Amino acid sequence: MDKIILDHVSYIYSAGTPFEQKALDDICLGIRGGCITGIIGHTGSGKSTMMQMLNGLAKPTFGKVLLDGYDINSTMEDVFEEWRILPEYASLSDRKAKKAIGAEIKKRKAGLCFRVGLVMQYPEYQLFEETVFRDIAFGPRNMGLSEEEIRERVLEAAVFTDIGAELLDKSPFDLSGGQKRRVALAGVIAMRPEVLVLDEPAAGLDPLGRSFIFDGIRDYQRKTGSTVLIVSHSMEDMARYCDDVIVMSGARVLRKGSREEVFAHVEELARTGLDIPQITRVMASLRERGVPVPKNIYTVEEAVSALKAVFAEEGTK
Amino acid sequence: MKGISFGQYYPADSVIHRLDPRIKIIMTILYIICTFLCKSVTSFAVLVLSVIALIMFSRIPVRVVLRSVRPLLIIIAFTFVINIFWSTGEQLLVEFWIFRIYAEGVWNAVFMFLRIFALVTGTGVLLTYTTTPMDLTDALESLLSPLKKLHVPVHVFAMMMSITLRFIPTLTEETEKIMNAQKARGADFTSGSLIRRAKSLIPILIPLFVSAINRALELANAMECRCYHGGDGRTRLNVLKCHTKDMVAAILMIVFGVGLVFLNFVPFIYVMK
Repeated sequence: MDKIILDHVSYIYSAGTPFEQKALDDICLGIRGGCITGIIGHTGSGKSTMMQMLNGLAKPTFGKVLLDGYDINSTMEDVFEEWRILPEYASLSDRKAKKAIGAEIKKRKAGLCFRVGLVMQYPEYQLFEETVFRDIAFGPRNMGLSEEEIRERVLEAAVFTDIGAELLDKSPFDLSGGQKRRVALAGVIAMRPEVLVLDEPAAGLDPLGRSFIFDGIRDYQRKTGSTVLIVSHSMEDMARYCDDVIVMSGARVLRKGSREEVFAHVEELARTGLDIPQITRVMASLRERGVPVPKNIYTVEEAVSALKAVFAEEGTK
Repeated sequence: MKGISFGQYYPADSVIHRLDPRIKIIMTILYIICTFLCKSVTSFAVLVLSVIALIMFSRIPVRVVLRSVRPLLIIIAFTFVINIFWSTGEQLLVEFWIFRIYAEGVWNAVFMFLRIFALVTGTGVLLTYTTTPMDLTDALESLLSPLKKLHVPVHVFAMMMSITLRFIPTLTEETEKIMNAQKARGADFTSGSLIRRAKSLIPILIPLFVSAINRALELANAMECRCYHGGDGRTRLNVLKCHTKDMVAAILMIVFGVGLVFLNFVPFIYVMK
């Protein structure tokens, strides 16, 4: 089964006022567990809202968000329905049952943000502690872990995000922009979420900073087998790091599927104003001019090996 | 957090929306005076009619206007009760235990209720609902400009006010963003003892202050880069102009006030002393 399922999800901003706006319109989606899914779309296509729904920060106006098959916004009634058939429940009095259900909902909600780690856009503004170490430890500390466990997790997260040991005792406000971003990312990774959601994790960073961030995310995904969702509008990054791609346009899902499936519809993407990776375009025009390169090339590395193959073939002729 | 909306400006296209904001400020002051001039049943009836007329002219939904009265309901109820029980008069209606309710008290209570109601809805419709905060500060600057002769830095105050107004929504948004980010890291703002809750605000306040200060520095730099040097010799994009319709509106308001004073002498049912 899919790790995350969006079931007919809609979201409406400022409902009932003249500023009413549909951010998401009847979205149905399944997101595979254990791989990296990229979400592309224009600003205002509802990507960020969708991301905030996954850990319960935003609630869908209509529809359900399921994590491992369970509705993350389950209400009293839903839990009641679930528990009604259990023998433990039958023995409880009404008041006690209500209390137990309330506690259960609270527990589920609290656990949710640790299970689904959300890194918001420009996350460096969330830094506040005196030292980098303590800032990364904020999440794990809120989970109620022991000091040893916290320490272990902070150091692990620092390795993933390539934060050197010498930075851990510095103030986060003394770091460079890219370093701050990595500290913020580490703060979420330190919670070891099974689903890691990132909203434009590399926005405004230089190429080196971008690859630091994305490599860290990929390492985390590979080592923990968690599910990762990345929102971006850089096709290059998507092509390079993602297994699946979802294209959003005007509050709806335009296309979803594996990287190859989605990028195969080049014209459709171009029509919505989204760019296909530069290298894919270069290859396409090479093919037009008669160079026998394959169609599905999305990264520079792939292009290099394809061109090498072409040259090797020409050499043998 | 969503509830904070400074200036409840409601976009619509109406006669009142298009009036000169300076005239609207003056009219609002006049209208407030008018509500205090009313003393008789007839004048209050006309006042209520004027509220209805204003709402109709402004094309703002009644529901939206009534929303502005809601926060004042407690005050209105309080004055209503005080007036009913503490007014004395000649015509005794009910008497029980230590309370005596007079007809005059009931009338006074109703009048008080209508007065506050007209005050809130009237100023809302005339000013805050129909004028953008930017227009409002421009108008204030223009109205207060005679004070410049007394070396009061009117322009600086107006600029400070418009910057403040401009950044309230930005800071609100920022606060929300930071709160969400910390919530995503498991911060809990709602449970625990008072001290714990106060402490839980640190992860919000520090980033908020840092970004507000940075923003202020950036703004000051950006303004200086565009050679901003205060109010002297500065021209405006939108120059406020007073048209005939603005003068007519102001005169109508004065006539309305004078009319109310005359209506106070109509001895119909009850006149406040």
